[in-house]
Amino acid sequence: MIRIDVSKCSGCRRCEVNCSFFHSERVGRNGSRIKVVKIEGKGIDVPVVCQQCEERFCTKCPESAITIGQRGEIVVSPTLCTACGACEKRCPIGAIEIFNEIALVCDLCGGDPRCVQECNLEAIVFEPKVTEAVSLKDMRKGVRGLSPEAKRLRFAKRIARDTRTKWLATRRE
Amino acid sequence: MLYGYGGRILRVDLTSGEIQVERTDPQFMLKVIGGRGLNSRRLSLELKRDVDPLSPENLLLIGVGPLTGTLLTGSAYFTISGKSPLTGILGDSAAGGHFGPELKQAGYDQIIITGRSQWPSYLLIADDHAEIRDASHLWGKDIWETTASLRKELGDNAIQIVAIGPAGENLVKFATVACNNSRMCGRTGMGCLFGSKHLKAVAVRGTQPVAVADPGTYQELCRGIDQKIVAHPEFERRKAMGTTMLMTALNSLGILPTNHFQKGVCDYVDRVSGERLARDLKVKNKSCFNCNVHCSRYYMTGKVESEGPEFETLCSYTSRLGSDDLEFALKMNAFLNRMGVDSVSSGETIGWAMECIQRGLLTKDDLDGLDLRWGNRKAIEKILSMIVYREGIGDAFAEGTRSLAQRFGRGTEAYAFHVKGLDLICGDPRGIKAYGLTYAIASRGGDHLRAEPFFELTERYDEAEKRFGTRDAANRLAENGKAALVEYSERLALMTDCLTMCKNIGLCMDILDFESSSSLLRAGTGLKFTPERVDEVLKNHILADRLLNIEFGLEGSQDTLPSRFIQEPLEGGPSKASVVNIEKMVKEYYRIKGWDEEGNPR
Repeated sequence: MIRIDVSKCSGCRRCEVNCSFFHSERVGRNGSRIKVVKIEGKGIDVPVVCQQCEERFCTKCPESAITIGQRGEIVVSPTLCTACGACEKRCPIGAIEIFNEIALVCDLCGGDPRCVQECNLEAIVFEPKVTEAVSLKDMRKGVRGLSPEAKRLRFAKRIARDTRTKWLATRRE
Repeated sequence: MLYGYGGRILRVDLTSGEIQVERTDPQFMLKVIGGRGLNSRRLSLELKRDVDPLSPENLLLIGVGPLTGTLLTGSAYFTISGKSPLTGILGDSAAGGHFGPELKQAGYDQIIITGRSQWPSYLLIADDHAEIRDASHLWGKDIWETTASLRKELGDNAIQIVAIGPAGENLVKFATVACNNSRMCGRTGMGCLFGSKHLKAVAVRGTQPVAVADPGTYQELCRGIDQKIVAHPEFERRKAMGTTMLMTALNSLGILPTNHFQKGVCDYVDRVSGERLARDLKVKNKSCFNCNVHCSRYYMTGKVESEGPEFETLCSYTSRLGSDDLEFALKMNAFLNRMGVDSVSSGETIGWAMECIQRGLLTKDDLDGLDLRWGNRKAIEKILSMIVYREGIGDAFAEGTRSLAQRFGRGTEAYAFHVKGLDLICGDPRGIKAYGLTYAIASRGGDHLRAEPFFELTERYDEAEKRFGTRDAANRLAENGKAALVEYSERLALMTDCLTMCKNIGLCMDILDFESSSSLLRAGTGLKFTPERVDEVLKNHILADRLLNIEFGLEGSQDTLPSRFIQEPLEGGPSKASVVNIEKMVKEYYRIKGWDEEGNPR
């Protein structure tokens, strides 16, 4: 999985740019499977990407188009996916999203994630073997009706809380 | 289909409310490239020359380049242009951040705004849809509040916004436009132009990823550039400090403006340096879209936090005003960013006043009782607030230093350090002669970014002989060869502005040249941008800008520097005893251009 270190991300979005270019030879947020959320005024930038969560909410696909690959990544079948949006609705952090008639989600680029390659701040790190699965159960509450962007913002706010506290603590010393 | 380019141009008439979309014509783009070049050409074609900059007839242009928002590192910029309210000649200013790429993804190369809305408005663009919306509830809010409010009410945190603050609303002549809270189109008063049109903000959301003509070649070219950037000897310093590294760098050359250019060496530089900022107050790196340098920084002092500052702001609010208080400068940086005020021009108005007080040309009574002694923080804070709201004497300051000094007269004009009405940046030209020439001839007035002739600081003498015919071109104190250097750098600077790319990377890190830029343009757009064609386009642009400025009333006699830099030798330091023989360099520059003795193209 791809681990995020909020304290290091500069918000440059090179992960987005290279994810999008690798998968489609085009550059744009909507073509990317990792999306950087910016909380401006707080200095926070968070790359939000599939956390291979314990619960695997998105796999309850009505078309059975979503399975789990050998690296633990989510695999979307391009032939079975009807872009119904059920997975997008179920993911509590906005990490899977419909664009151009298919659900886009991190596929780990076949084991060599381009986003990680291009991040020279170590804000995202690839862990080939997941030692401890992340639970997103508590993120599920209150997500009904929220857009993927709004869900990403919610998730970003949660995982950035500690970073802000640490920064502020060093200023009070 | 069109590659690289967004493919459309948006026309908005704020008076009638009419919005039109035009297709981008590739034949036209071959002549202008994009960004600043595209904007300048639009002014040439469509602007009535004698128009009052604050009238509805003035054009407000927002342009991006063919490579903006692509795989190219630093391709984050956008340029805002119009007839400048501050100078009355060509005005434009660029910024990075994330707005430019978003505009491209919405499918636009340029927004052309004319007219004046009857009430405060903002422009909302979402791909194919564009509308003028009421901004009455945002009027009066600062830039940070405006950005946050708009994102909240539109229910989309990823929307990109450019906005003005109270300074722009109150028509402060050097008001800025900002995106991402702290990325500023700072110079020539483009925020004032927004305010004059009752335009509070432009909000953009684009969902269509940008395609290039030849992705394989383009990727290879971009990878090559990335490797050059990372291998650059300044890479780590730039990553740690960004432009604030210039505080100690300029001080060590004896050209750090101190007490309003009375000295080039600042005794307390270590207390206000980029090194100290990075060590004590920076919490992390910040970055524009798709950059691997991350030269911007986020700081927290315990009392105030923000992205920034850049060198110009840091110097303008420390040594230039005789203040050794770093935390105060950071507080001012946040204030200026919120209110939307250019730090260089505002700093110059205050520096001018302080020097005039020192010399007894002005008294406290002239300045509403403000005690503008060197480094007096309370007075600096007070006058800035008075400028933003045009209160008392702040109303005169808000007109810019040239107008301010003319109002007082009594010899104070000699201490108003501007060229053509645009206040000088922080770098004493007496120790960097090519920069001096750039300030004198720049088509938007006293500023370095039109050429950024960093080459004179490199001491690459053999390369200087090869490129410019004399080893002197790489000697910062020499005047010989500088006209050739500036003429060359001016084209390269325009190139980066047309792409639109970051100048710190493209130019200062010596990453772009005409050959590589042409290759990028060809692979990106699929259009026949040969090096010859690109060179012709750039030369035509510079000529057209000159003609446009002459039609705005510019005269060759204005291609000069304030008298201090020509007549008063620098006291002490590594640039000791130096002055700028500006006339000689300007004449040489005209000669290379093929212009006559008065600076008129033949």
